[in-house]
This record gives sequence, C-alpha cells and structure tokens, in this order.
Amino acid sequence: MSDAAREFIVARFEDERRLIDAVRAVRARGLRVYDVYAPYAIHGLDAAMSLRRSRLSIATLAGGIAGLVASLAFEFYAAVIDWALNVGGKPDNSTLAFIPIAFELTVLGAGLATVAAFLSRCRLLPTMNARPVDAAVTDDAFVLALRCRQTAFDRSLVERLLFEHGAETVVSKVIEP
Amino acid sequence: MAQELTFFKRRPDAETSRRDFLTRIGFTLAASALASCSRGPVQKAIPFLNKPEEQTPGVANWYATTCAGCSAACPLLVKTRDGRPIKIEGNGESPLSGGGTCATGQATVLSLYDPDRLTGPMWHGETITWDEIDRRITERLAAARERGVVLLTNTIVSPSTTALIADWSRRFPKFRHVSYDAVSFSALRQATRECFGTAGVPHYRFDRATTIVGIDADFLGTWLAPVEFTRQHAARRRRALSGEMRHYQFEAGVSLTGSNADRRFGMAASDHGAIALALLRRIAAHAGITEPLPDVDAAIDEHAIAAAADDLWRDRGQSILVCGSNDVSIQVIVHAINAILGNIGATVDVDLPSLQKQGDDGAVDALVEDMNRGDVHVLMTYGVNPAYDLPAGPEFVRAMESVALTISFADRLDETAAHSHAVCPDHHFLEAWGDAEPVKGSFSLAQPTIAPLFNTRAAQESLLKWLGESPDFYSYVRAVWRRELYARQDRYHTFDEFWDHSLHDGVFEDPARGYRSQGSARLDPERWHAAARAIAHDHQRAAAARMPDSYELQLYETVALRDGRHANNPWLQELPDPVTKVTWGNYIVLAPSAAKALEVETGDVVRLAVGDHMCDLPAYVQPGQAQRTVSIALGYGRDRAGKVGNAVGVNAFPLVAAHGGHRRYVRGDVVLQRRTGKQLPLAATQTHHSIEGRPIVKTITLEELLSGTPEVMAPQPSLWPEREGGEHHWSMVIDLNACTGCSACVTACQAENNVPVVGPDEVRRGREMHWIRIDRYVDVAPDNDAALDVAFQPMMCQHCQDAPCETVCPVLATVHSSDGINQQIYNRCIGTRYCENNCPYKVRRFNWFQYAGNQEFDYTTTDPLERMVLNPDVVVRSRGVMEKCSLCVQRIQAEKLSAKQEGRRLADGRIKTACQQSCPANAIVFGDLNDPESEVARLRRSRRHFTVLEELGTRPNVGYLMRVTNGEKTEKPS
Amino acid sequence: MTAPVVARERRAVDFTGTRTATPWIEGEPTLREISDDVIRPLVTRPGFGWWSCFAVALCALLIGVSAVAYEIATGIGVWGLNRTVGWAFDITNFVFWIGIGHAGTLISAILLLLRQQWRTAISRSAEAMTIFAVMCAAMFPLIHMGRPWLAFWVIPYPNSRGPLWVNFRSPLLWDVFAINTYLTISLVFWYLGMIPDFATLRDRTEAGIRRAVYSVLSLGWNGSARTWSRYETTTTLLAGLATPLVISVHSIVSMDFATSVLPGWHTTLFPPYFVAGAVFSGFGMVLLLLIIVRTVMHLERYITIAHLEAMSKIMLLTGSIVGFAYATEFFNAWYSHNVYERYTFVNRVSGPYAWCFWTMAGCNALAPQLLWMRRVRRSVPALFILSILVNVGMWFERFVIIVTSLHRSFLPSSWTMYRPTIIEVGTLVGSFGLFFTCFLLFIRVLPMIAMWEVKAVARHASGAHV
Repeated sequence: MSDAAREFIVARFEDERRLIDAVRAVRARGLRVYDVYAPYAIHGLDAAMSLRRSRLSIATLAGGIAGLVASLAFEFYAAVIDWALNVGGKPDNSTLAFIPIAFELTVLGAGLATVAAFLSRCRLLPTMNARPVDAAVTDDAFVLALRCRQTAFDRSLVERLLFEHGAETVVSKVIEP
Repeated sequence: MAQELTFFKRRPDAETSRRDFLTRIGFTLAASALASCSRGPVQKAIPFLNKPEEQTPGVANWYATTCAGCSAACPLLVKTRDGRPIKIEGNGESPLSGGGTCATGQATVLSLYDPDRLTGPMWHGETITWDEIDRRITERLAAARERGVVLLTNTIVSPSTTALIADWSRRFPKFRHVSYDAVSFSALRQATRECFGTAGVPHYRFDRATTIVGIDADFLGTWLAPVEFTRQHAARRRRALSGEMRHYQFEAGVSLTGSNADRRFGMAASDHGAIALALLRRIAAHAGITEPLPDVDAAIDEHAIAAAADDLWRDRGQSILVCGSNDVSIQVIVHAINAILGNIGATVDVDLPSLQKQGDDGAVDALVEDMNRGDVHVLMTYGVNPAYDLPAGPEFVRAMESVALTISFADRLDETAAHSHAVCPDHHFLEAWGDAEPVKGSFSLAQPTIAPLFNTRAAQESLLKWLGESPDFYSYVRAVWRRELYARQDRYHTFDEFWDHSLHDGVFEDPARGYRSQGSARLDPERWHAAARAIAHDHQRAAAARMPDSYELQLYETVALRDGRHANNPWLQELPDPVTKVTWGNYIVLAPSAAKALEVETGDVVRLAVGDHMCDLPAYVQPGQAQRTVSIALGYGRDRAGKVGNAVGVNAFPLVAAHGGHRRYVRGDVVLQRRTGKQLPLAATQTHHSIEGRPIVKTITLEELLSGTPEVMAPQPSLWPEREGGEHHWSMVIDLNACTGCSACVTACQAENNVPVVGPDEVRRGREMHWIRIDRYVDVAPDNDAALDVAFQPMMCQHCQDAPCETVCPVLATVHSSDGINQQIYNRCIGTRYCENNCPYKVRRFNWFQYAGNQEFDYTTTDPLERMVLNPDVVVRSRGVMEKCSLCVQRIQAEKLSAKQEGRRLADGRIKTACQQSCPANAIVFGDLNDPESEVARLRRSRRHFTVLEELGTRPNVGYLMRVTNGEKTEKPS
Repeated sequence: MTAPVVARERRAVDFTGTRTATPWIEGEPTLREISDDVIRPLVTRPGFGWWSCFAVALCALLIGVSAVAYEIATGIGVWGLNRTVGWAFDITNFVFWIGIGHAGTLISAILLLLRQQWRTAISRSAEAMTIFAVMCAAMFPLIHMGRPWLAFWVIPYPNSRGPLWVNFRSPLLWDVFAINTYLTISLVFWYLGMIPDFATLRDRTEAGIRRAVYSVLSLGWNGSARTWSRYETTTTLLAGLATPLVISVHSIVSMDFATSVLPGWHTTLFPPYFVAGAVFSGFGMVLLLLIIVRTVMHLERYITIAHLEAMSKIMLLTGSIVGFAYATEFFNAWYSHNVYERYTFVNRVSGPYAWCFWTMAGCNALAPQLLWMRRVRRSVPALFILSILVNVGMWFERFVIIVTSLHRSFLPSSWTMYRPTIIEVGTLVGSFGLFFTCFLLFIRVLPMIAMWEVKAVARHASGAHV
C-alpha cells in the first residue's frame, strides 16, 4: 500500500460529546469514518457510526452446544457402552446424574468459544509493538480518524469542520493497518 | 541363602531337616510377597529345587491339633501355607467345642511368631547349648536325687504329660508335682470331694437345661470351657424357640453371661452365699425338706430368687445351677441344690468330670514354706508364672533364692523365668506333639504344624532327657495312646490305623463315655447344713468388719486376656472387651451410684487401697454393676511379657485374697478415692451404649414369637430397575438370638484378613481397623440401674444391593459384583473417605497411616518373623486407602475354583467365612440366595429376619434374626 | 439533550435504591486523574501498611505450607478425623472458600447484567478475590485425599488399563468439573476486563521490560470503537454465562451433602440455601477486603461509603435468607417425624457441638439484622466488625453441617467426637495466608480498579455523556 493510501486525518477531542457530534457531522458530509478511538466504550457511538450488531452470540451458542453434546456423549459412552458397572444398583444410563457435568461443560464451551471468537475477530493477539493512533486514547483522549484518500475529501474543509466541532488538534499522519 | 535371613541367625546350630527347609521357603515367600505391598526390605524368593510331597505353593495344608490357649484344650484345625501356620480354626469333629473357637484360641497363632520368644536355652541369663544345660541340670538332679524335686505347673490336661510326671515320681522318691491355676477352682474341687467323694470339677451340660441359674459364673465368657458352654447354650436357645427356656444370672459385675441372660440381677459379690442359701431354702421347701436353715440378712431381691428357685424346681432334672465363687461352703450349697433337683448325672456330670482346673491353692502355699525351709532343691516351673500370678508373687521370688536350682520352661523371659537359674524354652504348641483330655473320656491329639522356629525344645522332651530317656515325646505320646486308648476301641484293628485316624481327626471319644450312674447323687444333709452355718457366720463377720466408706472388690478375667499369659498378643490387647468395649488395659468398674458418690466419670483416675497396697486405675462407669461392688480385671500389668504386653494396665493378682486355703476373688475391705485432676482416657471402640429407641436391633419376647408376631416385612420398593445378577448371590444371616458377643469372630477376621493393629492411641482417636465389630446396646431400667437388658449385634459391611458408598466414589474404587458383594478396590482408591461418610452403618475403615512395617505401629508387621502370620491370599493395605469386610472373598473364590476343578456344583455350606467358622454359637450363616434350598435362603424367609435400616432402601445382603428374650415383660430396645 | 432521560432509566433499574446523585466517585476527577490514582500503587513503593499486611500473610502461608507438607508426608492421620467423622476441617474450608469466591462473580457478572454502576469500582478486586478464593478452595479436595499424588485419577483420561473411567454419578466428580469450569471462566473474565487497562499502562510506560510485558498482556489493544462495541457484547455474554455458572457451582457443592443418605445432609433445601450462604459470606469478605484496601491504598475516593452501604444491603438480604433456611431445616426435621433426622437437629442445638451452632446462628442470622439501621450501614468500623462476624459465622455453618451430622448418625454404637489437631488449624491459617498473599500482590502489580469502567461512570456522574 502506498503512503498516500495510509495517510489519515487524525482529530483529537477532549470529551465524548464533541467526538460524537464530529462523527455525525463528518458522516453527514458523506465522508466515511475510518475509526474512532476512546478510553472506554462510548454509548451512542455505535448508532452514530451505524455499526452492525455483533454476531459473537452465534459463537457462544455453537460452543455451548458442542460442550453439551460432547460431554453427554462421552458420559454415555464411558458409563454405558465402554464400562458398564453396577454402582449402587443404579442403572448404567443414570442420565440425571450426568446432567451436572454436561451443564458445566456447556458453559465452559460457550464461554471459551465466545472469547476466542472475540479475540480473533478483533485481531487481539499478544504483540510487542502495538501502535495506537495516539498514546492518549487509552487514557483520556478521544480520537477520530478519516482516510485521506476517499471521494468528497477536501483537507481544508474537513479540518475546518472538525475544529468547528471542538477538535483540539487535527493532524495528518500515517497509520499502519 | 538362609543365612542372609535375619531370624535364622538366632539358630546357629541349625541342621536342615525338611521342615526347616519349608520354613525358610515359607518365610522367604511371605517376605517377598510382602515386600511389594509393605515397602519392607525386599527378600529373595527361593524356588523349590525339588518339590516336597504335600507342598504345593499357594495351596493350604490343614493339620488337626489341640489348642493350648487355656485348659479347655479345644481341638483345632490349623491352616498352613508354604509351611507357615497362618490361621486357626475349630475342629468340627469335636463333640465338645463343635468346631468353635474363642478369641484367645484364634490369636494363639500370632504368639507363635512373637519376636519376644526365647530363641534358645539360658543359664543364669547367658545363652547356652542344650547339651551343656542338660549336662549341668542332670548332674544337679543327680545330686538332689534324695532331696526335694518339685515340678510346679498349671493344670495338666495331657494324659501323656501326666504319665511322664508319674515316671518322674517313680524315679525321684522326693519328687512332688504341685499344680495351681492362676484363677482357681480349688473350692469347687473340694466341695465336690466333700459331697461326692472324689475331688473334681463337674462337667456341665447347659444344652440339657431348661432353666439355667448362674451365680457370678461367666460360663459364656471365661468360666471353665466357654467355647463348649457357648455352643451348648446356643443350641438350647435354638430349641427354646419352640418352647420355654430361661436363664437367670445373679452377679456383681456385668459379665458376658449376665448380658445374655433372660433375667439378670446385679447383687453384691458378698451376697452370693446368701443367694445360694435363699435358693436352697425355697427349693428344700418344695422338696419337703424341713430342717431349718440359718438366716442371713442380706439385701437381696427375694422375688427374683423365688422366681429362679421355682423355675429350677419346676424343671428339676433338667435345670442347672452354677456358681463362680471359690468358697467351699457356697459350692457345697450349690451341689446340694443340684442334688436335690436331681440334676447330678443329668446336667451336672460328676462321674465323667471336667479335668480342667485341678490346681490346689493350699499345695502351692505349702510349697512356698518348704522352699523357704530349704526342703526344695530343684524347682521346675511349667505353664505357670508364679512371680506374676500368685497373690504373693514377691514372696515366691524370695523363696526361689533358697532353692538350689530353679528351672523355667517359659517361652519367654517372663517374671518367673527372669529369676530362674535355667530357662529351657518350651515349644509353642503349634510346634509340638501332645495330647489332651479336658473332659474325662474326650481325647484330642496335638501335632506340630511347623518346624520349631527357634532353638527351643518341648518341656516334655526336656523332662524325658533329664530322666535319661530319649527326648522324643512323639514316641512317648504314641506309647501312651497304645497303652491307654487303643484298647478302649474296637473300630481299628491295628494301632497304626487307630493312630493315623486319631491324628487325622484330631479327636478320640472313649466309647464308654455314654455311661451314667446316679449313685453319687445322694447327699448327706448334714454337709449342707454345716456349709449354711459357715456362710451365715462369714456373712456376719464380713458385715461386722465392713467400714461405712469401704467397697467390695470383685476380680474377674476378661474374654481377651484371661489370666494374662497372652498379654503380649496385640490382637488380644486390641480386642474390645465384649461388655465395656475397652481395649488396651484394665480399669475399675463402678456402678453409676458409686461413681456419683466418688464424683468420678469414666476416665478419671481412682486410687484403690487394700490395707497398704495401693494402685491407680481409670474408672469405668457401668450400669448394671452392683451398687457397692467394684470390679477389676486380672491379667494386665505384666512387666516381662514383651514389647506389646509390658506396662499395659495394672496387675490385680496381688489383690486376690485367701480364705480357708483357697484363693478368693472377692473382698470387702477396699477403700476408693478419687485422684483429683488425674485422667487416663480409656481406649474404647464404643462409647455410647444406649440405642436411643432406634429400630436397629430388633428384639421380641418368646410369647410374641410363639403367638405369631411379627409378620414378615414386605421388601422395600426400589427406585431403580432390578439389575440382573450373576450365577450366585452371596448373603449372610446372623442370629442375634444365638450370638453372645464373645468376639471370637473379631479376632478370626483380623487373622484371616491381615487387619492391622493400631494401638491404644489410635483406638482412642476412633481409628480401630476391625472389619467386624460387636455393637452392644444397653437398655437400663430407669428405677434400678442393676437390672439391664443387653443386645449384641455383630456389625460388618452389609454389602447393600443399592450401596450408598458406591454411588459417591469419584473413581469407582468401590462397586458391586454381580454376585452381590460390595467390592473395595484398594489400588484404585484415592482416599476421599466420601464412602465412609455416606455409609449408614459406619463399617468402613480407613488407613490413616502406613500401618504395615511402620515402626510407629510396632505390633504385628515390623519384624519379618511377625509377618509370617500374614495371609498371602489377602492384600496388605497401604496408607490412604479405604478397606472393609469383603465377605472373605478369597475363601469364596477358592471354593468356587475347587468346585470348578472337580467339576461339581458348589454345595451349600462349603464356603465358610472366617467369622462364621470361628463362631462357637453357629450364629453366622453364609450362602447363596440363588439357591432357594440353601440355609441362608431359608433363614432370610424366617419371620425373625430383618435387615438394619432397611427403610433407607440400601437392601443389605447381610441380614439378622431377631433377638428372642424370655424375661419379664419389660420394654426392650426396638 | 437526552441525558436526564437516560439517567432516569438508570435509576429505574437501580435496585439498591441509590440515586445517580449519589457520587460513586467523590470529587470530579478528570480521566487522567483517575488513571493516575489507580496506577499509583503500581508505580510507587509500597508503604508500611502494605508491608506489614504482606509479612503477616506470608507467615500464615508458610505455616500452611509446612502443615500440608507434614500431612502429605505422614498421612491424613495427623488430622483429628476418625472412622465416623471422615470430613471436618478439610471440606469445611473447601466449602467456605468456594462460598467466598461467589461474591466476585456476582458483582462482576450479575450486577453487570443489572447495570449496577456501583459495581465498577469494586468488580476488579472482587473478581481477583474470586480467583484466589477458588484456588484456596481447590487445594482442600486435593490434600484431603488419602493418596493426593493420585489426584489426577479423577480426570477421565484415556489410559492403557483397559476400560477405566470415573464415576459420573459421584457429586465429588461433579465438583471437579464445576470448580475447574468456574476457575477457567472467572480467569478469562478477569483477564478480559483488564485488557484495556493493560493498554493504558502500556501507553503510560516508557519502553522497557514493563512496557513489553504490558504490550503482550494488552494484546495490541488500540481503543478502536469497533473493538469496544464487540468487547461490550463479549462481556455481556460472559456475564450471562457466569450467572448460571456461579449458581450451579455452589448447588453442586451442596449436592455433596444433599445426595447423601445422612440425616442433616440429605435435604433438597441445600442448593438455594448454599447459594445464598455463599453470596452472603462472599459479600462479607469483599466488604472486609475493600475496607482494608481503601484505607491502606488511599482509594476512599473510588470505594465510597455508598459502595459499602450497597454491599451491606445485599448482606442483609442474603443473611436473612440464610437465617430463614436454618429455620426451615428445623421445621423439616420436626415435620419429617424421622427419628434420625430429628435427633440430628436436637443434637445440633443441644449436643456437644451446640456452641458451634449458636456461634453460627448469632453471626449469620442475628448480627446482620443490625444492617436495617442506616447508621450501621454507613459506619465503616461497624461494617468491618460485621463482615468479620459473617465470615466466622459462615465457616461455622459448614463445620456444623459437616461435623454434627457425621459424628452422631444412624448407629449410636459408632458415635464419636471430633477434635481438630494443630495441623488442621495450621492448614486453615495457611489457606488464609495464601489468599491474602495473592491479594496483596495483586493490588501491587495489577490495576485493582477497572479504570475504563470507572472513567465511563465518572462521565455519567458528571452528565458528560450522551
């Protein structure tokens, strides 16, 4: 990718309200917001950026079902097929007694699947050189990033627009994807 | 190879006979088998170079022999594996013991491997060779030829030994044989002589008695021949289920016999004479004998005595009165009553008497004087320990100093041997030849079951040797039997045939035994009038002498330790006393009222003073104990018994009194005083004796049983579908009506299943390991704590069909076998103890420590010698695993296997569990429920059958038959 | 401006009844100040207070280590157990610690679902507490085994011993799975919550080892709005899973007893009763910890009286539930007309262990009733004492249930007494040592308050959000 492609306008705000106004304004001008960076989850931002609802819950369901089926199947195999013993005169297939473990493994499967899906979807991996767009976004800064190379992009216009909506600083910089 | 093995070092002059070879093989096999489970030193297993006849590794050989645990001389069958005796069982051929044994008999096999035994002869404390010691003794005997030579023994029931002693008196003109019993019956012997001419202890037949009255005679526990009497008593009780039978017991302490009586009355020990007199008075009245009898004013329960007397009279000819007192007058009265009732010859046999307890207290007292006078030059002590069990032990030891040569045949350096010049250690009876005639006309043989472990020699062989004859008791016994017995029978036509069969069977019955004469039953009234006067006189003297604060002391034997000769046997030390459930030591038994007066509770130390003799003992508060009488067990407080028996409890023999030349086990001049703040917690396996009104032991009265109640309990419904079982369905039924609680089964189980001994501290912590225990429940009448109702219940794994323990084990270490056994898989167990918690019967036992081969638990498995007793068919459990009753699964498998090999059906009764085999009352029945004809299946259909806590739906495979009582209509536990 | 509306919505679901007016953070710290305050303990040298606490905790831990080492070397016999009482201190401590753990999950998960803002400041340390408590708890089933070196046999792993599996009918096995699941999910949840804070730390530290570590831990978090949105979904989903989990775990623990045949154990009441008890003791422990921490670490600003009061209300609720459960048990025993059941409960109140029962009843059922008074709820010393009482009481509850039921069960012939040995006491002390050592280390090396959550709340409080 050429430098031009990786060049961004990065506007920094000092609170979430101004940020959201800016996002709305920018998008109203038909500009695509590359991304927004903040120290915490901002309510209402999803709507402002019109982000799609996450489909992570599918992973949860899948993991849960997997855990349930696997555990019940294994318990049945071990206690009925492979090694049926007379334990306290109870039937080999004491299904009721198998439920607690099945439940636990359901929860375990669902939980781990969810987290795995989340981490992979957001590409959150142990990395030595994470490069946040601005070191302060994990502390107290709210940042809006726009890709320069996009239709209807006019640097001076955009900068003015951002300042109008209370940006503290507006700089252009290169962001590694 | 053998020289590497530690215990053979004790035997420098070992010459290798076949038996020696087998011994070593056996030992090395056992040790190496153990090494795997007990982390012990690894020993080499040496294979047979050429296989000896009759020896197949892994297959047991059985030898018939005779028990020497006490003078009852029960015939035994001894199981040997690879040359090692490992288990003792009763010999069913015996008409006396009927295949039963007692706890003591069961434990004797362990004494064989006692590391405290002497390994060779000793002279003045130095080891010495047999040749040398024989030389020195024979020359001293020669010197003493014309002087006093005395052989001091306990009762000799062996005809051959008696013959040998006769040889001695022929050889040595001044030879004297003095015998005494640590617990004496000499008064009874004298009374018999006074009444019937010949001294002796009658042979009692409780199985013929419809009414039994006992006065302080613990004939089911320790008195005379408990195994035989238990068998008789149980047999009679079984027959009684279809008719009347009643057992009264008047006693001071609570004995095993009293606990099993239909009606028991606690009465002061000093009143036994008064009781006998009262009985006589009423019975004489019934018999129309009018001479007046002197009155004795004693606080005794006239109603009870009247009831007993009336029953005795009603059943005259088939009733029996026995008394444990060692007072001639009382025994004369007892004889008189039996004579008037016509019981002599019927239930009390004086013509073919018991040959036990021939001891003469007077003779031994006289002996001490002779010794002091210097009239005794050679003193040989055999089977007795006078320094310990004579009341005047110290005097005897002093007297020994004025004897030129004292020889002891003791198997260890005991209290007497320690003061003897020469010690010629006798064999253990399992290593020796011998015979016995405990009851006139009933003979049994004893044969070695193992080659002597040490450089010991049978006492008889020493005696033969010193007579200058060949030291070969085997030939001697054969000779005696050829001379005395061969002629009495006509079944076998050559002596060898006769001998071989007798040796194989172990017993020989004189065909002439059936004969009875009533002649001696007549009794001169003047005799018992004199006795009555004597009793009245004694009673007044005692009453006059009694101080207000003084108590009466009664000395008794415990079922486990008896007279103390087995004190070094850890199995017996840890056997819970059937009545108090206390192990490891004796204590002073107090009535609750006395305890209140002294302000003591169980475990508080009480100081007991008789004159200037004092001893401190922990108190044990016992409902049912007579108010003013306290009891102390004999047989404890040894100082030279060995590593296990030393300093356990207090020696009570010095408290034995004397009266008219007879030992007295009762005295009235005892002062008690609480040792404030001092405590000696007792090591009891059961501390709560009330049944709390729970339906655990079911008891019904004879009336209820005869009137058809109770109805058979309908089987409990189960939530689970019935699982189809296997070929067999093992089950056990225990008849609570027959069980006396004698605890023989506990020791039998311990021997069979390698159950570890854990010692007093662990027992105090509630960690005894016994797989079977005898629960004891007492119902005390609120008004009178001397009247009590006792129920015994053997309790072991109930092998529930729906076992709560199995469900909760996370690793399936306990599961159910297809033939109904609740199995415990030791090597899968990780020790969560969840099964133990969930067991309603609390029969599971946990290995809290590594017991086997651990110096901390130096009882039965530290010394390689001790480990020879271990049963190679049963795993020695390691630390951290749960264990419990397996229904002797190794025996089940063995029988199944042999049946399979011989291609026959497994017959009912072939399999006998260890507890079942040992039971003298035949209270335990084991068998296969899939066979509807089997004994156990029949009993499970009985109206008396119930299972414990069946409302829990555990469906135990071990069931019980209800206790049947025939006392007054009082509230029984259940 | 829709802010007031939102605020009203928040009020509507705010079941602790606190107003948004209540400052969950005192003063009006800027976001940077919040970071500074939370991170301060990580970058400054520990003070005397911390060191002294740590020294004490470490000593306790060492006592425990030596006690356990001796027990494993010698055998369970060094404990006071016997043939009748097979469990006592060991399983008492196990259930006690598991119970402690539950408050953490409750605060982080259930209160998250209930949108309780006040949880934000304390959730992190509560979760940490959960993890350490479960660690302590898990230790006891291991060391209580006769052969702990074979503990792995409870895991159904394929083996060469022919068919050899475990017993899925055994509640102990259910425990194995429940506790491992619980520990895993709690750890994941805890770590997930810390990722943004690790990023904050990363970006506030100069290049160096610390920074490298934080970089790895923060998984390259860059605060992107898209990540944040998925992040919220994930935490909500996990919270939804953790809620039934936490209830199931203590229900299963209670089934160790409820599925047995023993009078005093065999009762269907146990699962809810145990869960309530767990929450009760858990909040007691959280309260205790936070009262200590806020003073030692000077965080009164974030862990306010309002927090303590909210928690004390939950203690009042659960304490009353537990008290009611006690009463129900006795009613059932009386109503059952079962001689064994009845005796067990008579024995509890009047038997040799009656003093344990009354300690338990006093601490758990009566003492919390003081919390009806607002003055008590807002008095730090009072809450401090109460929280200690609650923990003592809840420990005794488990002791009473286990020991008084075991020592006198069906057959009176087997009745015994149980007396703990010094080794058992040492082990209990050690578990506290382990717990506090871990916790004290935690507050020094990890942000003990979820910065990003507090920041969000701070904004809500200041009405700055949309």
